[in-house]
Amino acid sequence: MFRADGDRHSEGLSPGSPGPGREADIIEHDALLTADDALLAARAVDGDVQAFAQLARRHGPLMRVYASRLLGSDGEADDVVQESFLIGWRRLADLDRPEHVRAWLMRIVSSKAIDRMRVRRSHDDIDDWDPPAPDASSPDRIVETRLQFDAMWLALNRLPPEQQRCWLLREIGGYRYQEIAEALGLPVSTVRGLLARARQSLLREMEAWR
Amino acid sequence: MTPDRSAASAPEPGLDGHTLAELGEYLDRGRTPFDPSIEGSAGCRLALANLSRLAGLSTGLLSRQAESEPARDELWIAGLLEIIRAEIVSGRDVPVAHPDPALRLTLTEAAVRGIVRRAGDTLGGVVMGRCRLDGDVDEPGAVIRLDLSCAIEYGLPIGATVERLRHRVRAELARHTELVVGAVDVAVDDVHPRGGAADV
Repeated sequence: MFRADGDRHSEGLSPGSPGPGREADIIEHDALLTADDALLAARAVDGDVQAFAQLARRHGPLMRVYASRLLGSDGEADDVVQESFLIGWRRLADLDRPEHVRAWLMRIVSSKAIDRMRVRRSHDDIDDWDPPAPDASSPDRIVETRLQFDAMWLALNRLPPEQQRCWLLREIGGYRYQEIAEALGLPVSTVRGLLARARQSLLREMEAWR
Repeated sequence: MTPDRSAASAPEPGLDGHTLAELGEYLDRGRTPFDPSIEGSAGCRLALANLSRLAGLSTGLLSRQAESEPARDELWIAGLLEIIRAEIVSGRDVPVAHPDPALRLTLTEAAVRGIVRRAGDTLGGVVMGRCRLDGDVDEPGAVIRLDLSCAIEYGLPIGATVERLRHRVRAELARHTELVVGAVDVAVDDVHPRGGAADV
């Protein structure tokens, strides 16, 4: 079999990136900004660092909010999110469905946050819980959905930490009752009760907006 | 803590003897096995609908909060990249001939994939996805197959664009490597509007 297409160029290999240079970087960066998750994940699996960085830009903030509510601490959440991306990068080969990369990352951040909670539990049983930061968003030009979300967010933050954690692990992390129980070191029956109460409080808040 | 002495686990008026906890668990099981006493109650069905709606709002609730936070600064991203760059798996070695037989030149598989991605990304209207090299890339002269995926800009003729992509990839690989490229299989996974994401 012979190569019948393309011209052979006699120039040597340029180190680093072959191809059209700076302009290409800009095109590439823009393309990645709007590319969907499945495509970015497929590239990341092949070792494309920029595609992985784009996934981190896109999903990092959600992972951080989630981890900081689970842990009650922003600083720890930062560490956990960074650790999660590193683990994600190492385990990309195990990602069966690239389109589910967000859920997969959320799963990793869940388990990393739980590890931290376990370490804490073994050291002390005082719940070191920061009060939620005041919402600094400006009150003008607020739409109904925003108001509802803000109200629900406040309602979530008012729940006792264990209720919040159960709800977050179930609804955001997709954990089963048994897994939540193991993660939090509680009996399954307790998890059931905590989850039901968390849902009840949030339902009340949601219905107030109907 | 008294988990089971709460309002949520006491039968509620309007739920025909069921509790909100029960309904939540029923929903978490995907409403299986079918429970006629729940499904037959208008009050329970309404509560299930509300619980579903709440579950549906949950990611939006956190996402909205995440949006109101300052964006991830590039410094943080740069720090992350530095860590992961150190862990790049370069894959197999692709030999490159050199006039001096004593010199052994190789390109890494990761570099070859990079050449292919760049060839596609700079074509215009195409964003590359997957790039797999099938075959013995480390054997000089062995025929290899390329397995590619990409997204194409809405409105471009798919067949012709894929043909341009194939040609471009072959040309770039011929220019930078000595791989003998057999089939170049391209899967178009996504069509995206010009200058915008297909879905965000």
